[in-house]
Amino acid sequence: MLQRLLAIVRKELITMLRDPRARLALIIPPIIQLFIFSSAATMEVKNIALAVVDLDRGPYAADVQQRLAGSRSFTRLPRYANVASARGALEREQVIGILVLPSGFSADRTAGRPASAQLLLDGRRSNAAQITAQYVSTIMAAEGAPLSGAPPDANAAGGSAALARPANAEVVIDNWFNPNLDYRWFMLPNLVGMLSLGVALMITALSVARERELGTFDQTLVSPATPVEIALGKLLPPLLVASVQATLYLLIVTLLYGVPFRGNLLVFYAAVLTFAEACAGVGLFISSLVHTQQQAFLGAFAVLLPFALLSGFATPVENMPWWLQFVTTINPLAHMLRLMQGLFLKGASVASLAQDLVKLLEIALCTTAAAVLLFRRKAA
Amino acid sequence: MSDTLTRVRSWWQQLAAIMIKEGKQVTRDPSSWIIAVVLPLTFLFLFGFGISLDTTVVKIAMVREDGGRDARAFGDALTSSKWFLVVPATDRRSGERLLQDQNVKAVVIIPAEFGRRLYAQNTTAQVQVLVDGAEPNTANYVHGYVGAIWSGFLAARGLEQGSPIAAPVSLEVRYWYNANAVSRWFLIPGSMTVIMTLLGTLLTSLVIAREYERGTLEALYATPLTRGQILIGKTLPYFLLAMVSMAVCVLTALLLFQLPLRGSFLALGLVSAVFLVPALGQGLLISVTMRTQMAAAQLGLMTGYLPAMMLSGFLFDIHSMPPWLQAITLAIPARYMNVSLQTVFLAGDLWSVLIPNMLFMLAVGALFFGLTWRRLHKRLD
Repeated sequence: MLQRLLAIVRKELITMLRDPRARLALIIPPIIQLFIFSSAATMEVKNIALAVVDLDRGPYAADVQQRLAGSRSFTRLPRYANVASARGALEREQVIGILVLPSGFSADRTAGRPASAQLLLDGRRSNAAQITAQYVSTIMAAEGAPLSGAPPDANAAGGSAALARPANAEVVIDNWFNPNLDYRWFMLPNLVGMLSLGVALMITALSVARERELGTFDQTLVSPATPVEIALGKLLPPLLVASVQATLYLLIVTLLYGVPFRGNLLVFYAAVLTFAEACAGVGLFISSLVHTQQQAFLGAFAVLLPFALLSGFATPVENMPWWLQFVTTINPLAHMLRLMQGLFLKGASVASLAQDLVKLLEIALCTTAAAVLLFRRKAA
Repeated sequence: MSDTLTRVRSWWQQLAAIMIKEGKQVTRDPSSWIIAVVLPLTFLFLFGFGISLDTTVVKIAMVREDGGRDARAFGDALTSSKWFLVVPATDRRSGERLLQDQNVKAVVIIPAEFGRRLYAQNTTAQVQVLVDGAEPNTANYVHGYVGAIWSGFLAARGLEQGSPIAAPVSLEVRYWYNANAVSRWFLIPGSMTVIMTLLGTLLTSLVIAREYERGTLEALYATPLTRGQILIGKTLPYFLLAMVSMAVCVLTALLLFQLPLRGSFLALGLVSAVFLVPALGQGLLISVTMRTQMAAAQLGLMTGYLPAMMLSGFLFDIHSMPPWLQAITLAIPARYMNVSLQTVFLAGDLWSVLIPNMLFMLAVGALFFGLTWRRLHKRLD
C-alpha cells in the first residue's frame, strides 16, 4: 500500500514540477507577492496631502501651518484662496481634506477667546480621513496650549507615550510585541499563512479537474492503486510545496525584514503542515466535485475569498458581527494567523498555541476525510 | 455598392454566429449562473459584513493592585465604557499571560498606592497600559480610548487644576460624502471593483487557453471568422454576464446595505461598461499568451485579482504606500474604477473626476486588445 502511495506521490510531483516554468511559478510569484503586499498592506496613514485655506493670515494661523509642516505625517500642504477652489483638488483625490482657518482666528487667540477651525474631509476614504482627523486634532490641541516648546509629532503614538499629564498623574503606554507599531510586522506573518493557503488550495483544486479534462483520470483509476491511495497521493505533494515555501518565507521575514521569531520552530512546521493539509483537503473536495478547470478555479476562489476575509487578515475578527465571528472558528486561516502571530511576534506559550493547533488538526481531519470520501464515491 | 452591403451583412452574420456559440457555451454551463449571480452576492455579503474598519469592542484585562476609591472609580470607568470588554486579572503576571496568549488586546494595570500618590505631593500616580502592538490599528484605537477615559476620570476628580489654563482651540470636523465616516460605504464600491475584476479578467483568461489545451482552437481557426470577430465574439457574452452581476451588486448595495447612490444609474452603467474594456482585455491577453488554463489562471490571479484587492485603494490607502508602489498602482485599471465607483455612489456625477478616469481605463483597454489582436495569429504552430 505504501509503495503504491509513494508511486502516486512521485507521479504527482513529476506532473507538478516537470515544466521548469511551472517550477518557477511555484516559487517566484509568492515571493514577489510577499514583497509587494507587505509594502501595500498598511493601515497607517502617511504622506498626507492636506489643503489649507488660510482666511486669517495672522500669526496663529501661520503657527498651525508650521506645526502641520513639522509633523512627519503631512508631506504636502497646498494652499488655496477659498474652499471652492480647494474642493476640486479634494474631488480628484489630490488632497484628503481641507483645513479652513477662518478669519478672526488669530484675533480670537490673541484676545484669549476660544477659537475654532474647520476640517473638511473626503468621506470616500473614510478610514484614512478619520486618522487624518486624529492627527490634526492632536496638533490643534497642542495649539490650544500656550505657544511654547517644539511642535508635537502626530506620530508620537508609537512607543511609550504619556497621554495626559496634569498635575501628578499619568498613563504610561507600553506597546508589546511590536514597539514601533510597524504595520509590516503584523502583515508579514499573516502573509505566510495567506500565501500557503493559496498554493495548497490551487494545486489540489485543479489536479483532478485537469486530469478529467485531459482524459488521463481514467488511466489513473485503472492503475493498481485504490481510489483512497490516489486521493492521499494527491494530498501529500502540496504539503511538501507548502513546507518548502514556508521555510523560504521564514528566512525572508526574519532575516530581510527583521521581524522577530520568538516561538518554537517545531510548532511552526506542525502548524504549516496541518494548515496545508486542511487546505489541500478543501481543494481536493472541490476538484472531485467539478468537471472543468474553470469550475475548479472558481470553486477554489469561492473558498479562498471567504477564508481570507473572515480570518483577521485584513481587518480584526472582533469587528465582525457575532455570527461571522462564529464562522471564523471553523476557518483554518483564522487559526493559522493566530498561530503565526503567536509564533513570530508574541512568543506565546506552547499550551496556548496548542489550542489553535488542535482546532487546525480537527479541521484538517474533517476536510481530508470529506475529500477522500467524495473522491472515492466519484471515482467508483 | 450592393457588394459591400453583402459583405457587411455576412460579417455581421458571422459575428452573430460566434456570439451565439459562445453565448450558448456560457449559458449552458450551470456554473455561469452561479458566477453571475450567486458568487457576486456571496462576496458582497462577505465584504459588507466581514470587513469593517470601525472598531467596536476591544477585550482588555485589568489588574487592580489598589483597592482604594480612586482606583475603583477608574476601573469602573473602563468597565462601563462601550469600547472595552474588561476581564479582571488577579495580578500583573496573569495579566501579562493573557496578553501573550492572545486572549486580550491590552492590560491596564492600576498599581498599588495609586490613590495615595494621586493626592500626595512630589509623587506621580501612574496607570500602566500594556498594549498588544501586533495589530497596530487596534493598538492605536486602544491608545485613543484609554486616553479619553483617563481625561474623563481626571476631569471628574477635579484633578485638572494643575494643567495650564488656555483658551481651547476647537476643531470642527466634517466628512464630505460620508457624514458618519462609515467604512462600509467606501468598502462596498471597492468590493464591486474586485468582483468585476474577478468576472472580467479571471473568467476570460481561461477562454482561449481552454481552446488551446483542448485542441479546439484549430476548429475555430478553420472557420472563415476574422481575428476581430473572434475577439468580439469571445468577449461580448462575458461582458453581458459581468453587467448582469454588476446590476445584482448595485441592487444589493442599495437595498440591503443602504448605500446612497448620489450619482445617476447612467454614470454607474457607463463607468462599469468602460471598466470592463481593460478588465476583459487583460483576461484575453493572458489567455492568448498562456497555453494551459492552470498557468492562465495563475497569471490572472497575480495580475488581475490580487492587485484589485491590494493596490486599488479598496482596503489600503494608496497615498500611504511607498512611492515606487504608488507608481505601479497608476497602471492598474481597478484603481481608476475604485475612485469612479466611490465617486458615483457617494459624491455624485462629478464628470471632471469620472471622465479622466474613464479615458485612462479605455486607453489601457485599447492597449490590451491591441496586443491580444496582434498575438492571436490565425496560424497553427
